[in-house]
Amino acid sequence: MSNTSMLSINFPSLLTSSVHDIKNSLRVLRTLHAQLESIYQDKKHIEFKQLEFEANRMNNSLMQLLTLYKIDFAQYSLTIDEHSASELLEDIVNQHSTLLSLGDIQLIMECDSDLLCYCDSTLISNALCTLVNNAQRYCLSKVLLSATQEDDYVVFCIEDDSSGYPENLLTSDCKKLPELDMTTGNTGLGLFFAETVAQLHVQADKQGFIMTDNNSRFGGSRFKLYLP
Amino acid sequence: MAINLTSKKILIAEAHANLRETIKHIFGSLGARFIVEAESGVDAIAAMKKDKFDIVLCDYDLLGKKTGQQVLDEAKHLKLLPVNAIFMIATDEHRLGLAPNAVDNKPDDYLIKPFSLKQVSSLLEKCDTRKRFLAGIENEIDSGNLFQAIRNCEKMLELDNKSMHLQLLKMQAELSIKVGDFKTAEKVYQDILDKRELPWARLGMGVVAYCLADYDNAVNTFQGLIKQYPAMLEAYDWQVKAYEAMGNDQLALSSISAAVTLAPQSILRQKKLAVLADKTDNIDLAQKAYTAIIELGKNSIHRSFSDYSGLANTYLKTNAADKALEIVVKMAQQFKAEPEAKLRAALLEIEIYREKGNERLVERAYNKICELNGQLNKQIPRELRLNMAKIFCLNDNREACDEILNDLVKTYVDDKLFMKEIVALCNELIGENYVETLVESLTKELVDFNKEAAKLFKKGDIRGARGVFEQIAAKRPHNPKVILNLIKIILHDIKTSGASPEKIISTQSYINTAIQLGIAHDQISVLQTALDTFKNEIEQ
Repeated sequence: MSNTSMLSINFPSLLTSSVHDIKNSLRVLRTLHAQLESIYQDKKHIEFKQLEFEANRMNNSLMQLLTLYKIDFAQYSLTIDEHSASELLEDIVNQHSTLLSLGDIQLIMECDSDLLCYCDSTLISNALCTLVNNAQRYCLSKVLLSATQEDDYVVFCIEDDSSGYPENLLTSDCKKLPELDMTTGNTGLGLFFAETVAQLHVQADKQGFIMTDNNSRFGGSRFKLYLP
Repeated sequence: MAINLTSKKILIAEAHANLRETIKHIFGSLGARFIVEAESGVDAIAAMKKDKFDIVLCDYDLLGKKTGQQVLDEAKHLKLLPVNAIFMIATDEHRLGLAPNAVDNKPDDYLIKPFSLKQVSSLLEKCDTRKRFLAGIENEIDSGNLFQAIRNCEKMLELDNKSMHLQLLKMQAELSIKVGDFKTAEKVYQDILDKRELPWARLGMGVVAYCLADYDNAVNTFQGLIKQYPAMLEAYDWQVKAYEAMGNDQLALSSISAAVTLAPQSILRQKKLAVLADKTDNIDLAQKAYTAIIELGKNSIHRSFSDYSGLANTYLKTNAADKALEIVVKMAQQFKAEPEAKLRAALLEIEIYREKGNERLVERAYNKICELNGQLNKQIPRELRLNMAKIFCLNDNREACDEILNDLVKTYVDDKLFMKEIVALCNELIGENYVETLVESLTKELVDFNKEAAKLFKKGDIRGARGVFEQIAAKRPHNPKVILNLIKIILHDIKTSGASPEKIISTQSYINTAIQLGIAHDQISVLQTALDTFKNEIEQ
């Protein structure tokens, strides 16, 4: 018997503690970034924005890991309530607009101001933010964020003019975390998180789900999140 | 349209000077002119004591270990925030781990760090719109007229504002519960649930069942919610209440333990755990909870000497007198200026030194109690006074014991639960008829007062009758009939000799007392409507 097999490592707890540690360091890093930006506020250094973008991505991923851990261990307090779909989307646009404009990427929003949805807005916003981040990474010039009513579902949709989702993200079962694509570094965590979060939303016999395809009206990838 | 902050007073509480500067710049771009900065929670509270702010943006992690949540709790507790003020907590956690619950205050919203001008502007606008829309209801709640708040709610529901409709229904149901109109609350919640299963509406159904003393149904509802939403702390909190009302402290303890495991940072919930664990003789658990409370209390408005005395008591229960004494000494050091802490310390010292067999120090502690009793008299919590009556009785000081018991019985004769405790103590120490005799004389006194008031009323001396009822109410503040009669007589006084602001305020205050005493909603509703009519007349 090897020594390692005798060790009892509670990996989920270890991972959670590590994620918390990294998040704390990231918080310090983001604070320093904001301080630096306030010192050099007259000069629009693109590097600052890139740093902010990457820090946001890291933060989103860590948040998703922690949330998934909490969901897995029944520690996440799901807070379902009525929300304005357009306000939810506006929040996401406000979070991304500066970054996107610096990269000459257009973020368009389409939503009826009266459209209401029933969800945990923190979770849904986090899921959509990550996918907008991804769209921003792969698109050429445009990202469209929309919400519409389709029968018994409110559908949040992110479309872009990228070259589309790779095959493994179109065919994969998002209920399982896909294998890490070592060539692209694509983990599929964002989609897995979105699917997990969608499934927590249930109304009568309907359950939330996601869909991915390459039928964006701009010819690129299209992500849809269905909430009952 | 961006919100204009020119006339608003703003407080920014943020630990880092550069970030404060950035935030100040953001608020400045929105027109803000009056901005105060704070780097710690203590500074933020001091600023709020000095000025009334319209907007407070408070970081969750401040200097000095006080969190943004603790600043909010303290500001609410000390009533430092105007009713329409906006309080936002800035956090990079985005509510993760800050699950909503029944014991903590909720900010108007959370601002995710780092934030841009657009995000601040949009969130402020959202909060401001909501606050302005609900001002008519919030102002009435703040001034204590819950019935008017409900009526305003109903009027605003007629406006059919789609985005605020559910929020208004939620407020209507919660207010209905507060005034004891459980049927309306139940109907509102059921109508919502018929259309959509929303956790807060289901929780509301459980709360209504609890208020109607249908505890089995309440527990089932809370259990169902916990099964579906295992981290829904509010469901645990209400389940604890329901189990306690059923007299099942063991199950209440198990619920509160589960809630504390999910959110160990909540001092109020830890307090509940400590008390229940102590009550059910789970001494280890009680000690753990009291220790956690003392640690959490260092930066909290809820810090109290009773937590130290609670912990010392648990050590006494396990015959660890030295450890108990250690805690009592710490309590005396921490709360030097609090006479009640001294009294609690002396009460514990009696037991500690008795355990240690030091009669000289027992006597010294007893003398301290006698001295403090003279100084503090009625300014002590009733449970503590009952404990003192016991100590006096055991030391053959019947005069001091009787004085306390007489006063407690007179004041709380209409409080059934507390009277049970008094009766149990008297039966154990004095004799079975002791309380009965006291109650009989009080009943006679009440009858005499009522006769006198009725006589004056018949003579047309309304003010005289009101004076007599006010005397009775001062003596019997928990008696529903007395309070109702007093409200009726003041309303009659208003009708015959006209309304005045003093009479209106006084009647509203007694109506609020009636609500707190749990007097039936339909009885109070009629009186509130009559008062509002008079109120409108003098306002026109």
